[in-house]
Amino acid sequence: MDLTRRQLLWAGGAIGAGVMLTACGGGDEEPTGSATGGSAKPRKGGTLRVGALGRAGAITRDPHGSQANESDYLIISLLYDTLTVPGRKPNTEPRLAASWKPSEDLKTWRFTLAKGAKFHDGTPVTAEDVVFSLKRLRATPSGASRLPGIQAKNITAEGTDTVVVVSDYANAELPLLVRLTTFVIPKGTTDKDIAKAPGTGPFKLDWFRGGNARLVRNKDWYGGEVHLDAIEVKIFESPQAMASALLAGQIDLASNVGAVAARTAESRKDIQAVRRPNDMAMPIVLRTADGPFADAKVREALRLAVDREAMVKQVLSGYGTVANDVLGTGDPAYDKSLPQRTRDLAKAKQLLKEAKFDTSKTYELYTTEDISGLAESATLFATQVREAGVKVKVVKQESATFWDKTWLKGDLYTTYWGTNDSVVFFASKTMVSDSGQNEAGWKNDDFDAAYEKAIGTSDASERTQLLKELQKIEYDSSGYLLWGMADGIDLAGAKVRGLPTLPGYGRVQLEGAWLAS
Amino acid sequence: MTPDTTAPAASPVSPGRRSARTPVLVLGRVGMVLLNRAVLLAVLLALVFGTVELLPGDAATATSERGESAADLAERRELLGLDRPVLERFWDWMTGLPTGDLGTSARGEKVTDLLSSAFPNTLLLGGIALLLTALVSLALGCWAALRPGGRLDRAVSGTATAVLALPEFVVAVALVLVLSLWTGWLPAVTLTGADGSPASWDMLVLPALALTIPQAGWNIRIVRAALADEARAPHVETAVLDGLPPHRVLTHHVLPGALPAIAAGLATSTGMLLGGAVVVETIFNYPGIGSVLASAVSDRDSPVIAGVTALSGAVITGVLLLADLVRDLVTGVRR
Repeated sequence: MDLTRRQLLWAGGAIGAGVMLTACGGGDEEPTGSATGGSAKPRKGGTLRVGALGRAGAITRDPHGSQANESDYLIISLLYDTLTVPGRKPNTEPRLAASWKPSEDLKTWRFTLAKGAKFHDGTPVTAEDVVFSLKRLRATPSGASRLPGIQAKNITAEGTDTVVVVSDYANAELPLLVRLTTFVIPKGTTDKDIAKAPGTGPFKLDWFRGGNARLVRNKDWYGGEVHLDAIEVKIFESPQAMASALLAGQIDLASNVGAVAARTAESRKDIQAVRRPNDMAMPIVLRTADGPFADAKVREALRLAVDREAMVKQVLSGYGTVANDVLGTGDPAYDKSLPQRTRDLAKAKQLLKEAKFDTSKTYELYTTEDISGLAESATLFATQVREAGVKVKVVKQESATFWDKTWLKGDLYTTYWGTNDSVVFFASKTMVSDSGQNEAGWKNDDFDAAYEKAIGTSDASERTQLLKELQKIEYDSSGYLLWGMADGIDLAGAKVRGLPTLPGYGRVQLEGAWLAS
Repeated sequence: MTPDTTAPAASPVSPGRRSARTPVLVLGRVGMVLLNRAVLLAVLLALVFGTVELLPGDAATATSERGESAADLAERRELLGLDRPVLERFWDWMTGLPTGDLGTSARGEKVTDLLSSAFPNTLLLGGIALLLTALVSLALGCWAALRPGGRLDRAVSGTATAVLALPEFVVAVALVLVLSLWTGWLPAVTLTGADGSPASWDMLVLPALALTIPQAGWNIRIVRAALADEARAPHVETAVLDGLPPHRVLTHHVLPGALPAIAAGLATSTGMLLGGAVVVETIFNYPGIGSVLASAVSDRDSPVIAGVTALSGAVITGVLLLADLVRDLVTGVRR
């Protein structure tokens, strides 16, 4: 009962937002400078009111907890610092760790802390605090996946400013993997006091209530000058309400509000749309281990049957880019030289015939409405592959049911990844034979060997070459059909400047934001 | 209220209850009803725990992250106490209830903290909407009843029927569009201040209207029908024949007899208002129990769902009881 009502509500909201925005078109102010570009000198002062998605029942204050709310994560990342942060190129930049160095075998990593880093109460940050925080993170149920290959006993302090982390295996990507979760709190913080723990981040907590918070500038931040006086984070359950708030001028930034809002806001000149490319992957998973798609020719046929341009245009409202079945598109090591697959129905039909694929049967494609566009992608995919003679029926599942019953098990389903970290990240998490989230049940010895070799190689150019080989195998035979990448989309008022353009959680880096006068 | 000598045509009170008018007995009756309702609520809460148990997945899988192994999940399950039988968890939760302890959410927050500002906010919104509904439906219902079958009566009744068929979200989206984004008169959504309540009073206007409009449609029909029924009673005819002016007949002779039905209609609206609040809160980003409940259901978070159920159940019980008392009081006085 609730479900249908909710769906109706969303549909109504989307239509409503469309009408509203069209109706409100015709603002005549052309913003000078833009949210992400421009060379103007940042102005100091002002309060940025940010809307972020979250649900009141899922609120958490714990920086090492299970954070489902973007609003909670935004607040936590402005208050606390991680060792490293996402960057464009390279994709890992220093934060609380000013530098890092691996041992020859790429197992032991030494992180040196930034000079002058202090908690909000004035206490300097020491290696002991970092060790405490990493161990606390490691002890949570998510610890093993957030600090892969690292046991608690292998996290130690060396002097006051160096943290030594020893991995169970060679791992050239460790600094990348500690980007988003390694928030540092003072040594000895108890679970009871976690909400009161001071951070080291660019903003200090003024108040927090029911998922909303006001944060004020940390003028002693070691990471550079913070321009804004304050950031107010407002929790929104729905992107529609968030878009309404922005249009009515109640907030200055609608974080990750999505393509529907952006498309309808195009007519408003006083609203800036920030597109963050390579934000979200929504691949279709074809089970390789067994079942109707186990034959690589069938998977190739489906990759040729999909019309990628049409998918991007219709499913993502054009806010996205065509992809080439290799995950990790934002990685500087992503191989752009692989030939772009395009639609070839004749070849697809021929491959299906060669593989003796049973086209009389109807195959079920499982999907959810977890994120906007996902179910639509499944529907359009089903329509497109029918032209190659493959009958697909879309089955929508409620989220919890999907993750419990279909994910990792189904023959054909949609999945999504909001952390577009790197080629190696996806390989290690979803494609190496023994990876915990091998969504397609893929086992390929050549791929495993290429992966082992790549993460054990410290020489950058040699490694890039090895990663190319790895991507070629993935391109040819993995269980993923990645038709495109969705942009992350924020909407901002005319005066907002200095917003991040990074995909995924890079959107929370608001320390450089400022308000034009 | 003027005492009336004529007995109502169809009294809902049986003659046997007539003795139950001494204060002690009334209190005893209220106590019995309360006990009855409390047992009903406990059964409902048991149902909540049982139903969540039947849904696929549990709070551990819902709050886990991708990449957690079976061992990690088992650890999470143990942390959340999900490894214990559902009856034991239910009993634990129930025994905390009298002390005001509603348990801990699957993400480690106290349920009382999650609801401490959300529930009063929903009550405030629902209360305003109920009051508005009562005022609007009484005023319009009476106005229409002054000239039965007249142009005004037809217009009010027709509009009421059209409006009661409108879902809250249609009303809500239209209100935002017209009163906020086009005209800029009112804020489009509710933003929350440091004290957990809406940052300014004008943020309450649109959500309250969105709830009131469909409910007012429903209640105008009830008021109008109740007044029409009562107008056929012999004592009203007597009053009319006595040459009393129409508005005096309405307020002194028709309305008192119609009140029990009107109160019952408004009491039923309480449940609808709380249900509608879930939808309306989402559209206006109102910081109430709606979004707490929605996320709790998708997280399979039994303590939170049960907490919301217990509080709303208590409120609805209270309002229904009040409506019963009004009915008893009115019919009692009229005897």
